[in-house]
Amino acid sequence: MVKELIKGNYAIAQAALNAGCECYFGYPITPQTEIGEYLSLKMPAAGLAYVSAESEVAAINMVLGACSTGARAMTTSSSCAVSLMQETLSYAASDELPVVLVNVMRAGPGLGSIYPAQGDYYQSVYGGGNGDYRMVVFAPSNVQECIELTYKTFYVAHKYRTPVILLADGLLGQMMEPAEFTEYPYPPVDNSSWALSGANGREGRKICSYGPDEQKHIQHVKDLFEKYKLISEREVMFEEFMTDDAEFLLVGFGSLTRNLKAAVKSLRNKGIKAGMFRPITLFPFPEKRLFELAGQCREVMTVEMNMGQMYTDVRLAVNGKTKVSLFNPRPAGEWLSVEEITAAVEKSMEKVYAGI
Amino acid sequence: MEENFIFAGFGGQGVLLAGKILANAFMLEGKNVTWYPCYGAEMRGGTVNCEIVVSNSEVSAVHKKETDFAIVLNQLSFDKFISRVKAGGTIIANSSLVKTLKPRSDIKYVFAPITEMAQKLGEIKTANIISLGVLAAACHQLTSESLQKALEFVLPAHRKHLLPLNLEALKLGVESLAAV
Repeated sequence: MVKELIKGNYAIAQAALNAGCECYFGYPITPQTEIGEYLSLKMPAAGLAYVSAESEVAAINMVLGACSTGARAMTTSSSCAVSLMQETLSYAASDELPVVLVNVMRAGPGLGSIYPAQGDYYQSVYGGGNGDYRMVVFAPSNVQECIELTYKTFYVAHKYRTPVILLADGLLGQMMEPAEFTEYPYPPVDNSSWALSGANGREGRKICSYGPDEQKHIQHVKDLFEKYKLISEREVMFEEFMTDDAEFLLVGFGSLTRNLKAAVKSLRNKGIKAGMFRPITLFPFPEKRLFELAGQCREVMTVEMNMGQMYTDVRLAVNGKTKVSLFNPRPAGEWLSVEEITAAVEKSMEKVYAGI
Repeated sequence: MEENFIFAGFGGQGVLLAGKILANAFMLEGKNVTWYPCYGAEMRGGTVNCEIVVSNSEVSAVHKKETDFAIVLNQLSFDKFISRVKAGGTIIANSSLVKTLKPRSDIKYVFAPITEMAQKLGEIKTANIISLGVLAAACHQLTSESLQKALEFVLPAHRKHLLPLNLEALKLGVESLAAV
C-alpha cells in the first residue's frame, strides 16, 4: 500500500466505505463538511445510500432506522449540531443499535465558532441524552488513526450493538498528512438474531425502548451496564510515550497530544523525567493503567483545549494517589504550543520540588 | 528536526495548492509532513494561508508560532507573517504586489516579481507554481526535482496536459533566484 497525502475528513469518509458503510445520512456543518462531500460522490456511484437530510435530527433518526435493519449506517457532524442528536443517541443505546456518529469538534458552547476545540468531551463521554447509558468514544490523534479508528468504530458498534462516537476535531479534520488505507481488519458481525430483516417465514420482531413492565425495564438497564462492563474489560485503548521512568505525566487526548509528545521530548532534553499518557478510548477510560502510572509520578498534569473536562476522569482514576493538575489556558482556537506546555510543566515542577 | 513553511496570499492565488504540492514533495521523499490550512469564512479575494511542517520523525505541532520560511504573495500577507519568521529564517515575497522594504534585520529576504513572471509566461494562475520554484532555489531541504515529481503526482489524469506549462513555471521560479 502506498501512502497518500490526505485530509482527516476524507480519510474518515473513505475508511467508512472500507468498513462497509452502506448508508450515510448527514447535514453539512464546518469543519466536517468534506466527509459528506466525499461520500456524496462515492456512494451513489457504488449503489449505496447517500441522503442529504433536512436537519441533523432527521439525519441521526435515519441512521437509527437503517441500523434497526442491521445496515451499517453513519452520520457525521460537529459540536452544536451533535447537540441536536442527543435524544436519538439515548434511544440507540436503549434499543441497542449500532449507530456510528463522527463528531469533528469545533468551539462551543452554543453556535460557538469554527475554531478547533475539545469542548465535547463531556457531551461524548457522559452523553446529553436522558437516562442511564454510555457510549464508546474513540479519539484519534493523527490522520492514520482517523482511518484505523473509523474501522474500529464500525466494528465495536456492531459487535456490541451500541452507539459509538469517533471524536475528532477541526484541526484533524482539516489537516493533511500522509496516511495508508490498510485493509479493514475485523470479521463480519452476524446480526441475523435481531435485525428487522422482514418477518417472512419467521416470527415478527420489534425494537423498542419503551417497557411498561417495571422489573423488565430495570433488568434491561442492568443488562446494558453488564455490556458496558464487558466493553470496559475488553476494548480499552491508550498510548504511552516515555512513561517507563516518568516522574511527571502529561495526560491529554486527540490531536493536541502531538504537541504533548514534543513537549515531553523537550523536557527530557532539559533533564526532566516527563512522560505522556493518552487515552484513545475516552469511554472506556483507561483508569487502571493511569492509576498504576500515578504511583510513580510526582504530578499528573491534564492538558486540554476546554475548561477542564477529561480532568474529571483523570482525578477519578488517580484517586488521590498523587497530585493532579490542569493546564488549560484557553478553551478554543490556536492549539497549545509545545513551548507553552513545556513552560507550564517547568513552573509546576519547581513547586513540586519545593514541596509546595 | 522540524522545518516550517507558511504559504499566504489572496484566495484564488493558489497558495493552498502550492502548499499541497510542497507537502507531497516531502512525502515522496519519505519524510513526515503535515499541511494545515487557515482561512476564515471567506471567498476569492480574502486572505488564506497554509502551514507545512516537515520532520524526520512524527510531526509534533501542526501549527506553530514561528516559521523557517514564509512565502507571501500579497502585501497583506507580508505584513501579517513577517513577525512570525524565525530569526535567521527567510521571507519570500511577490514583489509584483509587495513593497520591497526590509523592516527586520535578522531575517533573509527574497523578492521576486512572481505575478509579472506568471503573466509573461501567459498564465497568471501559474504564480503559485513559480513561487514554489523560488522556494526550491532558496531552501536547501528542497530540490526542484522532488517538486517536479510532486506536480506530476498531484495533477489528476484529466489535467495532465497542464504539466508542461507548470514545469516551465517551476523552472522560471528556480532560475529567477539565480538571476538575482
